[in-house]
Amino acid sequence: MKIPSLILSAAAAACVLGVALPPRAAAMISDEDFNALKSAVTNQDQRIGQQDQRIGQLEKLHEQDQQTHEQDQQTIHQLEQRLGETQQLATNAEQKAESAARIQPVHPVPSGAMSALHNFTMVGDAEVQFGKSQGQHSTFALADFAPIFLLRANDNVLFEAGFDVTLQNNTDSSGNPNGGSSTVVSLSFAQLDYLLNDYVMIVAGDMVLPLGTYSERAAGWLNKIPDNPLSRDLLPGSGVGAQLRGAVPVGQSGQMVTYSVYGANGPSSTDGTGASGMLDLGGNVGDTPNLHSDPSGGGRIGWFFPWKAHYDVELGVSGQSGVWDNAGKRQWSAAVLDAAVHISPYFEVKGEYINTWVQTDDIGTMHPNGGWVQAGYKLAGLNLDLPVVNDIELVSRYDVMNDGLGTKTDRVTAGFVYYLTNTLLFEGDYEWLHSRGPAALPSNEFVVQLSYGF
Amino acid sequence: MKIQKIILWCLSGLVGACLLGLGLTPAHAEPEKKADQKAGPKKLTGAELYAINCNRCHPERYATEFTSAQWKTIMLHMRVRANLPAAQAKEVLKYLQEDSGN
Repeated sequence: MKIPSLILSAAAAACVLGVALPPRAAAMISDEDFNALKSAVTNQDQRIGQQDQRIGQLEKLHEQDQQTHEQDQQTIHQLEQRLGETQQLATNAEQKAESAARIQPVHPVPSGAMSALHNFTMVGDAEVQFGKSQGQHSTFALADFAPIFLLRANDNVLFEAGFDVTLQNNTDSSGNPNGGSSTVVSLSFAQLDYLLNDYVMIVAGDMVLPLGTYSERAAGWLNKIPDNPLSRDLLPGSGVGAQLRGAVPVGQSGQMVTYSVYGANGPSSTDGTGASGMLDLGGNVGDTPNLHSDPSGGGRIGWFFPWKAHYDVELGVSGQSGVWDNAGKRQWSAAVLDAAVHISPYFEVKGEYINTWVQTDDIGTMHPNGGWVQAGYKLAGLNLDLPVVNDIELVSRYDVMNDGLGTKTDRVTAGFVYYLTNTLLFEGDYEWLHSRGPAALPSNEFVVQLSYGF
Repeated sequence: MKIQKIILWCLSGLVGACLLGLGLTPAHAEPEKKADQKAGPKKLTGAELYAINCNRCHPERYATEFTSAQWKTIMLHMRVRANLPAAQAKEVLKYLQEDSGN
C-alpha cells in the first residue's frame, strides 16, 4: 500500500503546483496590446492635462465673478442710500407744500405756465433827423428812441408802456446852453388792458386818449411826415384814468362800429387859476390828489366800412369835457372829427378837425381850434416797374391852428417817404409856414428823417 | 350847455350814420343772397382781414418777423390800440402764426 500513497502524494503535489503556477502561455502580453495600452495611457494623460487647464480657467472666472459681485453689492448699497435720501426730500417737499397750501390762498395760474418774460415783447421806433429852419443853423438830432414794452400775462391781460428817450443840451436858468447834455426819458403811456369779453376791454393807467386817431395810430414812425400836425397841441396826448372800449362787427365784410368811453383826471392849471394861457394839458397825472374837484369824461365812436381790401372809409367823432382850474369853475371841452379813406393800396387821405372851448377868468370862453388833412400816394401804383421809384410815396399835408389867443398859423408840407424796407423809412419834407400873432412860430423848415420801426 | 349840445349833436350824427350804414348793408346783400342762397355770406379769411385792418395804419409786417408767441402779444396790443373785433383779431393772429418766425 505504500506505493499508491506515494503515487497519490506525487499526484497531489503535481496538482498543487499546477494550480499554484500559472501557465506560461497565459502570462505573456503581445506587443500590439502593449502599444495599445501605452497609447491609451498617453491619451488619458493628455485629457487630464486639459482638464487641469479648464479648471484653472474656471477658477479665474470665479474670482472675477466674485469681484463683480462685490462691486454690485457696493453699487446696490449706494443706490439704496440715495433712494433713502430722495424719499426723505420728497417727504419734506410734500410737507412743505402742505404747509404752504394751509397758509396761502390758491391763485389762478396763468395759462401755459410760462414766465412773464416768455411773453415779453418790445416794439417801438427810433428816429434820427437832420433839419434846418430859416435863419437858424442846420442840425442833426436824435429825434426819438421810443420803445414800447408789452407784457402779456395771459390771453386777456396785457400791460404796455411806451417811453420817449431824447437828448438835449444842458441849459441855464435863462435857457441858454451851458455845456454838456441831458438824456430826457418821458413816459408816453403805461396802461393795463383787460379783455373782459369779445366786446368790452377795460383799460386803466396812463392811457393814450382816443381823441381822434392820430395819437393812437399815427404817431412816431407810423406818420409819413416827421412833424406832428400843429393842431394836435390843442389836445392832451394821454391821461391818467380808466376806459372801456371795444368793437362790434357788422356782418361778415369787416365792417365794424368801435367805441371808447373814459374818465381821466383831465387838464389842469399851471398856477391854479382859470386865467387864459394857464391851461396845462399835460399835467395833473401824479400821485397827488386831483388838482380840481372832478375828473373829466370823454369818448369816441367810430364807424369803419371796408368794401374790399385796401378800399375803406372810417369816420369818427370824439370829445372830452371837464373842469381845469383848481376851483373847479372853468370848463375845458374838446370835440374832434376824424376821417380816413383808402382807395387802392396806393392812395390814402386822412385828417382831423379839432375844436376846443376853454372857459377863463379873464377873457370869457376861448375857442382854440385847428385841423389837418394829409394825402399820400405810392408811386408803385403807376406800374412803372422801376425799383427806386416803386419804393417812394409822395405825401402832402395842410394844417391850420388858431390858439385862441390871437395867433393863427397855417402850414403846407410836401415830402416823400422812401421805403428802404417795410420798417426802415427815409423821409423828407419842406414846410411852408405862415404864422401871425403874438406867439407866431418860426418860418419855413426843411427836415429829413431816418425812421425805424421795430 | 352849448358845448354839450354840440357834442350831443355830433354823437347823434355819427350814430345816425352808423345806423344808416347798418340799414343799407342788407339791402345791398339781398340780390347776392338770392343768387346763391346756399353759400351764405362769405366769411373773410385771416389774410383778407390782415390786408383790410393792418395796412391802413402802418406798413405791412411780415409773419416771419416775430415768433408765434410774440404775435400773440402784439395782436393783443393791436386789438386794444386799433379797437379790433375779437373774432377778426383771432383770424388775423392765426394767419400770422401759420408762417411765424422761430
